[in-house]
Amino acid sequence: MVDMSQTVALLAPEIVLFVASMLVAVLGLSRSTGIRSLVPWVCVAALVGSILALDAVWTPERIQGARLLFPMLGKYGKALIALIGIGLVAVSAGSIDRRYEEAVARGRASFDALRVVRGEYYAFLLLSLTGAMLVMSAPDLIWLFLGLELVSLPTYIMVAVARTGRRSMEAAMKYFFLGALATAVTLYGFAMLYGATGTMQLIAMRDVLAEQAAGPGLSTTALLGTILTVLGLCFKLAAVPMHFYAPDVYEGAPLPVTAFLSFTPKIAGFSALITVLGAVGWSGHAMVDHDGVRIAYEGLPQPVTAVLWMVAALTMVLGNIGGILQTSLKRTLAYSSIANSGYMLVGVIVGPKGGIGAMYLFMLGYGVMTIATFGVLAALERKGEEVDSFESLAGLRAAHPGLAFLLTVSALSLLGVPPLFGALAKIVLVFVAFEGGQASLAAVLLLNTAIGAVYYLRFVGAAVVNPQNAKSQEVVAIPHWWPKTAAIVAGLGLIVLPAFLSRLVDASATTVDGYVDLGEAVASETER
Amino acid sequence: MNGWNLSSDLAAYLPVLMVCVMAIVFAAINIVASLLLGPKAEGAVKGMSYESGMDPIGTTHKRFNVRFYILAMTFLLFDIEIIFLYPWALAFTKLEPGSAEAGLFLARIGVFVGTSVIAYVYAWKKGVFRFD
Repeated sequence: MVDMSQTVALLAPEIVLFVASMLVAVLGLSRSTGIRSLVPWVCVAALVGSILALDAVWTPERIQGARLLFPMLGKYGKALIALIGIGLVAVSAGSIDRRYEEAVARGRASFDALRVVRGEYYAFLLLSLTGAMLVMSAPDLIWLFLGLELVSLPTYIMVAVARTGRRSMEAAMKYFFLGALATAVTLYGFAMLYGATGTMQLIAMRDVLAEQAAGPGLSTTALLGTILTVLGLCFKLAAVPMHFYAPDVYEGAPLPVTAFLSFTPKIAGFSALITVLGAVGWSGHAMVDHDGVRIAYEGLPQPVTAVLWMVAALTMVLGNIGGILQTSLKRTLAYSSIANSGYMLVGVIVGPKGGIGAMYLFMLGYGVMTIATFGVLAALERKGEEVDSFESLAGLRAAHPGLAFLLTVSALSLLGVPPLFGALAKIVLVFVAFEGGQASLAAVLLLNTAIGAVYYLRFVGAAVVNPQNAKSQEVVAIPHWWPKTAAIVAGLGLIVLPAFLSRLVDASATTVDGYVDLGEAVASETER
Repeated sequence: MNGWNLSSDLAAYLPVLMVCVMAIVFAAINIVASLLLGPKAEGAVKGMSYESGMDPIGTTHKRFNVRFYILAMTFLLFDIEIIFLYPWALAFTKLEPGSAEAGLFLARIGVFVGTSVIAYVYAWKKGVFRFD
């Protein structure tokens, strides 16, 4: 209550997006084609505005009042969300409502507000991005939970609304019910954490857990709560054991929504994960052996590390092996998204000493690669349908050399070929894992990069090496410049960003600035 | 493994367990008792939808225009939004007039009502209230 105005001011980026989403919902129903075509521009303007607002409001005094566990997380993270959000808007702009708008333009259909989904789609997109931003400035578990829900609820509708077809309906239903299940698991974990510590405030929770860690060790309830929360959040990350939905939902959803799903819930999930794990702490834990001797160890409490280790390793392996077996582009990219979550989990396990920074650096690379890959696919169509098989991509080099080049760049970057940005981000992650004492995970990561080569190179092979066939000759570029521009900018980004690597590493390392780990909290406790 | 005090942690949940057991036993007793003691009168009249009311006319599987459902949902939405105003109004009267806290409360409900108005404009433009 004390610093309410400061807290509200801190939320300026979210407020900008929220107001824009209201505006967009109404503008999208306008009778004038000109106003309707303004909608993506309004979204881009709002996202740029939120970056500017973020820069203006994120001052040290305000953050003090907000009492955040990771006070500087929002500065980097929210800018990243808004930046990739602009790309996601651009990927969507060509395909949402295109058939219907063309019919209206040719006079074959009259305007019918019930059939237009443009306003709703972009409003939900902005609301979901707002939720992802809110997760990053959560001072307590309730805020965190509401932020996560605001990320997910619009995406359930986006899967169904942008394309009417049985497959997207099926995908939406699956996504919704499994999402509800995962949310329940997360909430159960939150409830147990509350039960173990008696507080919802994350900073207070860290202090209580620090006392427990300095004394008899964390209570069983706290450990169980942490593990349940991690498992529930795995749904948002599309990580094992909650990854089963991803291929089906990604395939059934319209292409721009697939791009959205592979980034937004992931960054929100990872931010929520490190926020909760931040209260549990990456240091200050100890084991007590049979003779009552305390053996202190670095890292998360051992049961939590064990669970996260298994989740990360299985996610990498199952994601990459699943990717090899696919023929659909979207299913392949779904498995790629699963595997990338596994890579990023390595950073989470290593923790604030480099790991989280490396994870957010990788997240930047992953977001740019997502925009590049999906931008290329969204710029193409075959007989008025999305391009969704390697067969249709064959000989892309002959028909669309620019798009073939961009697809090659993004696939090689996803695979990890230096000097592309994806590779450098992955190398930083491996390096950090070695330094943080997770050599085994680093080895699993490197091994999986090799496995992933099988399906990432199929993109390259289809686009550059294979000759055109009857199916791929029917592939044409869509008459919209938005997705193509997004792909060009993102593709060039993958080539240019390595030049700024050291600055980006520093920037992503600021996410943990001001975070007090459990070990340090224990130390200050004993000093008092 | 010192500090893993499972028994004392779970002892706190004993009342919950007791309530669960009581609920199951109570339900079971009632079902069994009504099976054993209840009077049984089967027949066509007993099986009617409104046993002691009016005789039903026609089939229940009648189709309604889908617009009724949309309108009903919209009504529910705004109805519930109005309900939120009551607790706000009760709390607002307890605040000191003109204080910063009162201003904050007013701003909050202003945002809430504002979004409701936008939702109304959206529903109107979407054609929810059109019946032609």
